[in-house]
This record gives sequence, structure tokens and C-alpha cells, in this order.
Amino acid sequence: MPRVSGVVGHVVTFGRVLRQAGLEIGPNRIADGLSGLDQVDLTRQDDVYWTLRANFVTRREELEIFDRAFQAWFLRTPVSPFELSPPTPQSAVLRRIHAAGRPDSAAGTDESPAARGWSYEEILRTKDFGAMTSDEFDRVRALIADIAAERPRRRSRRLRRHHRGRELDLRRTIRESLGAGGDPVHRQYRLRARVPRKLVVLCDVSGSMEAYVRPLLLFVHAVRGSGKGVEAFAFGTRLTRLTRALETSDPDRALQDAARSVADWCGGTRIGASLKTYNDDWGRRALTRGAVVVIASDGWEREESGARLLEDQMARLARQAYTVVWVNPLKGHPAYEPLAAGMRAALPHVDRFLPGHNLASLERLGEVLMGIERRHAA
Amino acid sequence: MTARTFATIDDLQAGLLDASYLADRGLASVLFLALKLEKPLLLEGEAGVGKTEAAKAMARVLPARLIRLQCYEGLDVAHAVYEWNYSRQLLHIRAAQEGTVSEEELFGPEFLIRRPLLEAIETDEPVVLLIDEIDRADDEFEAFLLEVLSDFQITVPEIGTIQAKRRPVVILTSNRTRELHDALKRRALFHWIDHPSLEREVEIVRLRVPGVPERLALQAAAFVQGLRRLDLEKPPGVAETIDWAQALAALGSHELDPDLVESTLGSVLKHHEDLQAVRDAALADLLEEARVAAG
Ligand SMILES: Nc1ncnc2c1ncn2[C@@H]1O[C@H](COP(=O)(O)OP(=O)(O)OP(=O)(O)O)[C@@H](O)[C@H]1O
Ligand SMILES: [Mg+2]
Repeated sequence: MPRVSGVVGHVVTFGRVLRQAGLEIGPNRIADGLSGLDQVDLTRQDDVYWTLRANFVTRREELEIFDRAFQAWFLRTPVSPFELSPPTPQSAVLRRIHAAGRPDSAAGTDESPAARGWSYEEILRTKDFGAMTSDEFDRVRALIADIAAERPRRRSRRLRRHHRGRELDLRRTIRESLGAGGDPVHRQYRLRARVPRKLVVLCDVSGSMEAYVRPLLLFVHAVRGSGKGVEAFAFGTRLTRLTRALETSDPDRALQDAARSVADWCGGTRIGASLKTYNDDWGRRALTRGAVVVIASDGWEREESGARLLEDQMARLARQAYTVVWVNPLKGHPAYEPLAAGMRAALPHVDRFLPGHNLASLERLGEVLMGIERRHAA
Repeated sequence: MTARTFATIDDLQAGLLDASYLADRGLASVLFLALKLEKPLLLEGEAGVGKTEAAKAMARVLPARLIRLQCYEGLDVAHAVYEWNYSRQLLHIRAAQEGTVSEEELFGPEFLIRRPLLEAIETDEPVVLLIDEIDRADDEFEAFLLEVLSDFQITVPEIGTIQAKRRPVVILTSNRTRELHDALKRRALFHWIDHPSLEREVEIVRLRVPGVPERLALQAAAFVQGLRRLDLEKPPGVAETIDWAQALAALGSHELDPDLVESTLGSVLKHHEDLQAVRDAALADLLEEARVAAG
């Protein structure tokens, strides 16, 4: 486990340990844990213990796992682990972002965003959706719709940036490193020139994705409005087609209809099984062939055997798709590493791996999608 | 009425003790966090470990008005949120001349019967909202509750949206007769209250039964702790220990003996089969154990 200094690093990593042990810890849980720690005495081990426990555990059965992980992570080092370094700049930023959520409480103090030369909007652009109040989200939702409208103007500029290699082309990198010769990706570019790309979005709507489903679907709705050939699906424990629900031009109605049509909204996750349904029912009808497929999920597979199945189904998907993009909100956290079994199994078949936890990252997603289109049309 | 603020967990713990509630460090910590973070707190634990009382004690210590929503199967909006007072509306129509009552007037605030949730959102006072035994309510109600706890607002179609001026302290309790919805759990802090240790249980008994002989408190608590280790239908909670100690003290006893236990055991074990099983098999051993524990 890498050593990270500072409270934020500790908690993020601890959250990851728990996630691997099977607890459902999303970024908003982490943020909650951090705000909790702000209120207690960090030098007291029991304060830290109770605060994290209250935030990270949701049922009695998880207590034992939590205790074991807490022992292992916080009590393992020879140095007293509770001599944590004072809050890092990072957590100062977090705090400022939190303060921005309550404009009046921040007003007039030096800590206010304005005094730092940050606009409120700018802060919201980079604020994790999971940490937003409903007011903040209301402001942001309008901006999500704008992303689609703004795409053409931005794409050329940003496109070059990603040619400079800011995004790692994972599937290709892995293939090359394995020495599996040939470059089928390039060949496909030439073959399929000038055909408008289908876009297929598969959005994880299970509980751990709760904070991100709304913005992601709004994004899909906006993208849908800007062009044709967009298919959307939701999955938790099973797959539901959302394309119909997103047809209305009113984003709020679209969301409502989508939520209503999904039986397992905010429930568990069976990513592998859902993908299999998709591949069986839709992939066979050639929906995947030549499409840009976006999977939005934290990769948290609940089923024991899920990782294996997920890997197989991702391979199937990747064989047919033009490009596979995986959007994982957890990736927005600085210390995130794709260690969850499900995510690890999927990654070798992913071309682009992006965060999608805030507005800025959705913009980035828009650009990447546009870039794929452009590159191929050229 | 303004609620007190507590600077530290210790302060809150001391305050609760003054309010006759003995919270251990863990419970005091999560109650403190619930106040500071303004997040609902879900308390789970076996029957009688002090879940409900924790909310009541919070109301005493803040001080705040306690508003309690007791959940049960079939609990609906009319009993949890609001209902129109139809009989008053009818009287009003009858009293006024036919045709002169407007709908607006008829569906105005004065004809609204406020149930706990609306009451808690609408009032200006500091409030502890106790949503007791949420696991007994139906799924649909839980989903509704989740919405209320997200925005702290309630919409009455005829009147409009009522937004809480300040967030109530929300404490939910559950006996885990069923698993709660993940989304609800995600919104709340969670705490599992275990049965207290022997020392703590003795302290609780002494707190709640003033003047109880020390030795008696110790033996009674040790006896009950022994009962909890058996495989009973309904293991006794702290409530039962307190009741029992009260009864024993009222009888003027200073320590347990077989006859005394035999004649009062009914206040500890509420299930007939449990009572029978203990009488038949375990009573003498438990008594011996309790005496040893009390030294
Ligand atoms: N820590 C404590 N300090 C003081 N009194 C306590 C404590 N724990 C429990 N009690 C007493 O025990 C009794 C039972 O507690 P309470 O009714 O809160 O239990 P509960 O967990 O809500 O049980 P149930 O699941 O049956 O509703 C109360 O009368 C309360 O006074
Ligand atoms: Mg109770």
C-alpha cells in the first residue's frame, strides 16, 4: 500500500481498503468521513474510529470487516498513526469547496472563494457531484446541457491536447506491451471513415453510483439532443433500455421517466451479468458494431464470480465496439487506483478511462467523445 | 427556545448524563456528529438497549422539542405527514352560506391536521425528530421519508412547499426486522448499540433506580448478562434490568436469592418459553455466577 501523508490521503486509502473488503464506499462517503473528522480530535484514536465507523458502515455485518481494516490500516504502523500531519493543502481546498456550498457562511471572510480569486461557478465546475447540495446541483444541471451545445467550438483545440498523450489509450498500451502485433484499432479507423458513430451508453444506477447517475443521465440526454444514434441503458442488477425515456426534450421529465422505467434504481450491482444481457440481446443485433460504447460505473462488482464474467463480457464488447470508454467517478479522487476486482478485470478492454465525477470531467468526456468522432472522420 | 451547542464530545456526554442517559463514548461521538454535520442518525441494536431513549435524552439535553413518529406497517402520509380535517371543512361549509366558500379557503392551513413529519419541518423551535422503528414501515413509506430527509421540505399540493427553517436533529431507530434501503442508509450516520458491559449496565441501573443497593444492582445486572448468553427467544434488554432492579429494590431486598429470583423473573423474561426454560435448567447456575461476579 503506498504511503500517503495527511488525513485526506489516509482516509481515501482506507476507504479503498474497505471497498476491496466489500463495503460500499463512494466518494461522497469519503467526503462525509472527512467532514466528520473536521469536527473531532484527530489525535484521539477513538474519535477517528467512531467518526469513520459511523460514516463508512451501514449494517451490523460490516462492523467486523471495518474493525479489521481499521486495525490493519491505522494501527499497523510502528509510529503512532494518529500523529497524522496537519491538514494538507488538499483538505484546505476541500474545506473551501465545502464552504462554497453555503455562500453566506463564507461571505466576508478571507476564506471565501471570491477572496481567493475563484468564482463560485469555477468551484462548482470542479466540485464532486457527490458533495453538492441540491441548490448547487440545480445550478450545475443547466451547465451540463451547455456542454453539448459547446462541443463543436472546443473540440479542435482539445483534440490536439489529447494527441499530446494526456489520456492513456489503455487497451492499445496493454496490447503493445504484450507484444501482440498489429494494430487493429488503426485499421478500423480507415475502414469506417465518414460513417456517423453510434454512441451506446451503459449507466450503472446501483446504490454506490447514486450521486453520479443524475448528472450522467443529464449528460446523455444533452448529447442525445445534439445528434442521432444514441442508445442508453441503465443497469444495476439487470439491464433496462433507457433510450425511450430519454426521448423527451425536457431533461427533468427524461430523468423521471428513466428512473421510473428502472426497477432496480439504487440497488445492487451485477455488472458482468448486465453486460452479458446487453451483449446477448443488443450486441447480437449489431448495436455494438462500430459504436463508441461508454460504460459509466465504479466497477464495484458485488458478485463473487462477477469479475470473471465481467472480463469475458468486456472482451466480447471490445471486439465489436469501435472504442470502449469507461467513466468511473472514483477516478476523480487523487489517490484512486483501480484495485477493485471488477474494475481490474474490465480495464484491459477499455480504450479510455475517465473520471466523470464533476462538471469539468463531463466536459472532458464530451471532448473525448468528439475527438473519437473527429479522428475517425478525418 | 435556542438549543445549546456542544464544543466537544465530552461536553455532550456529560450533558446526556445530566439528562439521565449514560452514553458510552461511541454513542456520544455519533450523536455529536449528527448535531455537527446535521445528518440523520440511524441507531440499530437489540430490543431495549436504549435506542429510543437516546433520542429522548437528546431532546432533554439540547433542549429541543421531541417529535416522535412511531412507525408501523401500513403507516401512510395521512398519519405521518398531514391530513385534511374533513369534518371541520364540512362544518365550515355548512356554517357559511352555500356557495360562498372558496376552495382556497377550504384547503388553507387552518384545516390542515399536522402529523409528526410536517410538524417537525414547519415549527420554528429546535426539534429532535425521532423516527422510531422505521423497519416496521413499508418500503414505499421509506422512499417517501428519504425524500423528506434529503431536502427537509414537504409539499402540500393545495398550499405549496414548506421548507424547514432549520434542520431538525433526526434519529431513526430500527430493530432490523428487515433491511433498510441502501439509499436511506447512505444518507444517515449509522451506529450499532451493543448490550452494555457489566460495569456500564450497573451504572445505568444505579442511574435509573436511585437508591438501589449497590450489591443488588451488581447481582441483578450480572444475572441478566448471564441470561443474554443463553439462547433465548427474547433476550432481556437494559429496560428489563432496570425494571427488575426497581421491583427488587421496592421489595426491600439487598441481594438475590433463589426464591426472590423465582418470584420476580417474570419482569425480566417476557416470553413464556424463555421463562420456563430458565426455571427448569439455568436458574441456579446463573444465580451462582451473579453472586461470584458481585464478589
Ligand atoms: N444508556 C442508558 N442510559 C440510561 N437509560 C437507559 C440506557 N439504555 C437503556 N436505558 C433505559 O432502558 C429502557 C429501554 O430503552 P429504550 O426503550 O430506549 O430501548 P430501545 O432500544 O428503544 O428498545 P426497543 O427496540 O424495544 O424499542 C429505557 O427506559 C431507558 O431508560
Ligand atoms: Mg425503542
